[in-house]
Amino acid sequence: MPREKYKDKIEGLYKQVDTYNLVENLETCLACGKCVGNCPVASLNPSYNPRQIISDVLSGDGDRWLDSEEIWRCFWCAGCATVCPNDIQFPLLMMQLRYRAVENNYGLKYIMPFKRFALRAREDGLTFAPSEKGREKIKRYRSNLGVSPWPEISDRAKAEYKELFDLTGATEYLNNTSDESEKPVTFKYTEGRIISE
Amino acid sequence: MNEQRVVAPEELIPEVPESIFLFRSCTGSMEYPGTENAIKEVMNKLGVNIVMDPDQTCCSGYLLTCSAYKPEVSLAVTARNLAIVEKQNLDTYVFCNGCYGYNRELTHIMKHNPAYMQMANDVIAKQGYKYEGKTEIHHVQELWYRLKDEIAAKVVKPLQGLKVGVHYGCHYLAQQYHILDDGGYPTFHEDIIEAIGGTPVFYKERQLCCGYSVGRGITHKEATVQPHLYKKFKSAKEAGVELMTTTCPGCNVGLDREQPNLAKRYAEEFNIPVIDLSQLISIALGVPVRKLGFEANTVPLDGIINRLGLERGESSL
Repeated sequence: MPREKYKDKIEGLYKQVDTYNLVENLETCLACGKCVGNCPVASLNPSYNPRQIISDVLSGDGDRWLDSEEIWRCFWCAGCATVCPNDIQFPLLMMQLRYRAVENNYGLKYIMPFKRFALRAREDGLTFAPSEKGREKIKRYRSNLGVSPWPEISDRAKAEYKELFDLTGATEYLNNTSDESEKPVTFKYTEGRIISE
Repeated sequence: MNEQRVVAPEELIPEVPESIFLFRSCTGSMEYPGTENAIKEVMNKLGVNIVMDPDQTCCSGYLLTCSAYKPEVSLAVTARNLAIVEKQNLDTYVFCNGCYGYNRELTHIMKHNPAYMQMANDVIAKQGYKYEGKTEIHHVQELWYRLKDEIAAKVVKPLQGLKVGVHYGCHYLAQQYHILDDGGYPTFHEDIIEAIGGTPVFYKERQLCCGYSVGRGITHKEATVQPHLYKKFKSAKEAGVELMTTTCPGCNVGLDREQPNLAKRYAEEFNIPVIDLSQLISIALGVPVRKLGFEANTVPLDGIINRLGLERGESSL
């Protein structure tokens, strides 16, 4: 669809995905496709196509991607943004497309592992602090280096970090994250063509 | 974006600071604690004083990009951490591309959206902090490049032409403004490798990412990460890379920990040790190997240590 022709009807439609207003200039997309050419995921899964996603989101059709497997494959390497002639921050769009998918109960299996990590990080003030056995290894390695056995993080830091999770609603969000009503995701495109609507 | 994207090191860091605030990285202090130690050793040799603060927490960016939670908490955490730095009147130096990317991205969002700045400051005000956006966020690699000549002059154990393949890491190169080089064709790591006596190898897939960010190393390990890394290591091996360097402990996890799995799946051994650039600089500057924590590495460094004729020291590898 030539976007210019319907500009008054579709302008700003992408804001239904970009709810945090992080991608200010999606409408400057030239559809040049450099993002696709520089995308390591697209080279492995040709049906993952950033240009197509931008085009759909711009025309208010972004929701067709919500039940797709494709959107969960992005590595967030920002190779797309690096080569974009208009500096479109596609990874920030992808982040919000994933939020929208999750709100619609798609892709929950891809965020469930991180619920556990996030709840633990909330206690530790550190991300990916392992369980007891792993901690022993860290303590040994650090002691061998002649530094404190555990990263020097204060009780105050831990308490305040935890509090920020509570104050900003992240704790509630995490506790409510569940895969009970999970809906399946599938590949939406094959060889660049839509296979289901 | 009207700000300049790629800037010269002298412009980025006009004056070499006497003291820096070193931003603790979770992965760099737990998974590869030798990274943090190596940075301290090199800074010490360069005469730069390091300030750290036990009140600083995780940057909280990694799990944000894994879609575990929404941006509000990360904006507040970033504001709080940087408020702590600002109290010390120092610039922030991070040594993880993740911390760099997330801190830069989130401060950019706050500075360009007054409502977000207000929201973050309202929340951290309850804990007695105020973030003003004064502290500059740098990656330590910028300082290495800025002081390349000083580092070269202090080399006591030149790398004897060791073939080093560098890995830049995306979250540095993908920043929108004020970086040393963008993702087009970066070469500043190679310049540093040459300065310490190594031979940089421009392997074909050197700009391929580690694949581990946003949690894909957990959710899509077999589906995408392994075939992706296989390409990278195959091209590195074909080009004769003996050692790979990163500037991000997170990338280090992806590139180092995944190699045994690649060997199993593709029946092909790569055995390319992966260490932080700071650890390699430390070796060249004569820091004892036992202070670099190589025992945390999955792919052992014995070959490299023998090749360079280094003392192993007390600690086992």
